[in-house]
Amino acid sequence: MPRHVSLFIPCFVDQLLPQVAVDTVKVLRRVGYEVDYPEDQTCCGQPAFNTGYWNEARPCAEHFVRVFKNAEAVVCPSGSCATMVRAFYPELLTASSCRADAIALVSRIFELSEFLVNVAAVTQVGARFPHTVTYHASCHGLRELGLRDEPLQLLRQVEGLKLIEMVRFDECCGFGGTFATKFAEISAAMGDSKAECAAATGAEFVTAIDPSCLLHLQGILGKRQARTQTIHIASILAQQSVAQQSKTQAGSEQKNSRPQKTLQERP
Amino acid sequence: MPTEKVQTDNPSRERVLGRIRAGLRTAVVEPTALDRGRVIFEPVSDPLERFQRECVANLMECALTVDCAASARELAQVLQSLPAGEIFVQDDPSLRRLIEMAASAAVSGRPIRWSSQGAPAEASQATLTLAEVLIAQTGSVLVTAACGGRGASVVAPCHIIYAHVAQLVPNLATALGRISQQRIFDHNSFACVISGSSRTADIEKILVQGAHGPRRLVVILQSGS
Amino acid sequence: MSTAAQRFLHDAAEKSADLMHREIIRRGMDSYDAAHLKGRARIKDWEAARQKCQEIKREAVNHLDRYLLQFEEKVTARGGHVFWAANGEEACAYVTNLATRLGVRTVVKSKSMVTEEIHLTPALEKAGIKVWETDLGEFIVQLREEPPYHIVTPAMHLNRGQIAKLFREKLDPAITTDDPVELMAVARRKLREAFFAAEMGISGANFLVADAGVIAISTNEGNGRLCTSVPRIHVVVTGIEKVIPRLEDLAVLWPVLATSGTGQGITTYGTLIGGPRRRGEADGPEEFHVVLVDNGRSQLLADAEQREVLHCIRCGACLNICPVFRHVGGHTYGTTYPGPIGSVLTPHLNGIKEFQHLSYASSLCGACTSVCPVKIDLHHHLLQNRRNAVSAGANKPSERWMFRAWRYAMLRPQSYELGGWAMRKALRLIYRLGLAGSAFDPMQVWNCYRAPVPLPVESFRAQWRKSVRSNGDSAT
Repeated sequence: MPRHVSLFIPCFVDQLLPQVAVDTVKVLRRVGYEVDYPEDQTCCGQPAFNTGYWNEARPCAEHFVRVFKNAEAVVCPSGSCATMVRAFYPELLTASSCRADAIALVSRIFELSEFLVNVAAVTQVGARFPHTVTYHASCHGLRELGLRDEPLQLLRQVEGLKLIEMVRFDECCGFGGTFATKFAEISAAMGDSKAECAAATGAEFVTAIDPSCLLHLQGILGKRQARTQTIHIASILAQQSVAQQSKTQAGSEQKNSRPQKTLQERP
Repeated sequence: MPTEKVQTDNPSRERVLGRIRAGLRTAVVEPTALDRGRVIFEPVSDPLERFQRECVANLMECALTVDCAASARELAQVLQSLPAGEIFVQDDPSLRRLIEMAASAAVSGRPIRWSSQGAPAEASQATLTLAEVLIAQTGSVLVTAACGGRGASVVAPCHIIYAHVAQLVPNLATALGRISQQRIFDHNSFACVISGSSRTADIEKILVQGAHGPRRLVVILQSGS
Repeated sequence: MSTAAQRFLHDAAEKSADLMHREIIRRGMDSYDAAHLKGRARIKDWEAARQKCQEIKREAVNHLDRYLLQFEEKVTARGGHVFWAANGEEACAYVTNLATRLGVRTVVKSKSMVTEEIHLTPALEKAGIKVWETDLGEFIVQLREEPPYHIVTPAMHLNRGQIAKLFREKLDPAITTDDPVELMAVARRKLREAFFAAEMGISGANFLVADAGVIAISTNEGNGRLCTSVPRIHVVVTGIEKVIPRLEDLAVLWPVLATSGTGQGITTYGTLIGGPRRRGEADGPEEFHVVLVDNGRSQLLADAEQREVLHCIRCGACLNICPVFRHVGGHTYGTTYPGPIGSVLTPHLNGIKEFQHLSYASSLCGACTSVCPVKIDLHHHLLQNRRNAVSAGANKPSERWMFRAWRYAMLRPQSYELGGWAMRKALRLIYRLGLAGSAFDPMQVWNCYRAPVPLPVESFRAQWRKSVRSNGDSAT
């Protein structure tokens, strides 16, 4: 089992949601991993690939493979970007000189919750989050990576967290990459339906394993001025429990009644 | 492979076949086949019990009778519940006998049209036919053109089937296998697996029984001789 | 942008915002979802059933010529006629000529999407023939003079009140009820006259069974039964891809189609017809014609990636689960086949330049693929269609340039970082000036419907370099 992991932080997380990445590092370190972040990484190529620009996506994918080819394990706080590598690189790079490295990478790249539960065999990460939370099953994580229960296993172990199931929890939120702007009205309507399902639970937070879903949903919820906020699963898991704080002796200044940062907070 | 007949009145036949064959020359990857050990449908252990259960689910009526006399009584009861008017009966000795035995108030006075006289009238109140087999898995009856024709199972508001327990087969595969083995289509232009009364859910997905076909499908299922 | 794309965008925007439509569809789909789940539970090994169906269809499609000829031989031997139509016009001409030659004045039709695809009804009407759609849903949309909304439930966009009003206007001003039972009874009475007056019945086929030489039709209402029993001529119009090798294949295809289509264990009537009425039979049509329609299907055979699109059994499951369909509705697509299967198929049948937008009108959530009973990799095919559209030069030049610039930046980590920083800075400035969502906002389209995205001062990589890398605790 690897004790060292390389972080793959999707470009939009790097640029717009850095706290999700910081929280990912925090959780991985807490469960005992050394974390490195190869600074040459940029984007996995998904935006171009999904829009049909495979010739533009291919060199990005090759760049990605070169950056990560020596990593023991790659962990990514996004099911969608992990899917890009695992499900689509072999096809995109069929005729590329990087193909062998890409295929080797397929079995070493993991979404965060998948890594914690299935590789690290940890469900209790010592987190405390005394709030009501509802879970949205992001499409790529659910259907491409088959992550149905892993995120829930982690959430169920979080101290003080009350999980409320929403209806149609596995229906798409409507983000869909460039779909969100090419067909903004449809995307927004889908987001609206999802926001309604989330709001109907009465939960304070809606969480997911994909920051892209949450970015979109937060935008929709913000426009509706809804009470429900979005929070990435890494940011929940990063909230330390009291027991954990005293163990690490670093929690003296921490007060965990509210999460430190959620997606809606703009510095 | 069957021999090809050239039809002169169908100029596109060769063109379409040519396009198909040209397309098929493209090689495709053949994924692995299903493990034959996998069981798709739960095996049927008690066909009679299963058939009766599925009948309920399919909104059809199934009356289990012990002998011919009981079947006749059952038939009389069903007919009595229907409005006055003609009934259509498959011309078969067993059904003639059944009708005779049931010849009480229910049948007397009702005009009977036999399948040997042609198709059922549009205004028929009920049709009475036999079935080829009964399918336990799906609660279905298999009828063919020999069972009084095509309209016999669809024109009237009530379709009554007279069948014997020995006609039960466990599942759809057995029933379809029998059609092949008995070369049913060598002497029938039509067969139909009927699983319940006619229905629709086209308005607000609400189930309405009795659409264009029978509102009632009654199986008189006899166990004795 | 093609006119079809413009229309789609316009209608999609309108329908997406139509809350009454959303509510009707949601209610319908909720009841379908429940039935579908229950139906699936009745099958012991659903995944094995899907795989079996996929194998059956693959074998059929990979030997399409052989199985079609086997089917044709059997039907012809029984006195039936098989006509091969290269396209819709040929098929329509054949049926219209046949009807005219045999003195047909009234036609009753049971549900068939292929006849919609080739526009058969208008062709018959042009020849002065009265055509009645007899499936309740089809009858309703015919009265409204609109195409089917959905390939299985054509009138699911209407509620009972709207249907009652329609019947009052078109059939009988005395109708006072909006009870579905009563409304069905009204349609039944009206269509009974048609069934018994019509000289020709037209049906589709769910399957063409090669070894038995029969067509298989699945219906619930019994209208398909009447169309194929009462009139003296029966014409089947169907796609060449509907053939399956063996009668026994229906033992799995029938339950799987019923489960995926409506959640039933099996459809009420699984009808098999092998030819015209035989001597000694009580009734049935004297003439039996099968029109095999190609209309672009054979081209898909040559597409190694997408040949499996021909496996589709038109169950409608992908439409039902599709969140895009649930919000834009069936009519918005402007195609015979709406929903995911339509978005995959239509660019092939009707032109990639005109219909490539449909491949983009998907969030690629993959729900369609997960329910497809013959395991068509639908959302993957949408991706391939997008790639093909770009290769064919069907996309906007501005988009091409944008992705080229994007590639340039992504291959150079420093330009990526600089670009990201500049973009955040610029957006922060624009938003501070209160211009979010205005024409000056590069994120205008996003911000029209959403609150602006967060714009942190520091990216993660900046934070990593500054503090996160060296000390995990200081980052917490």
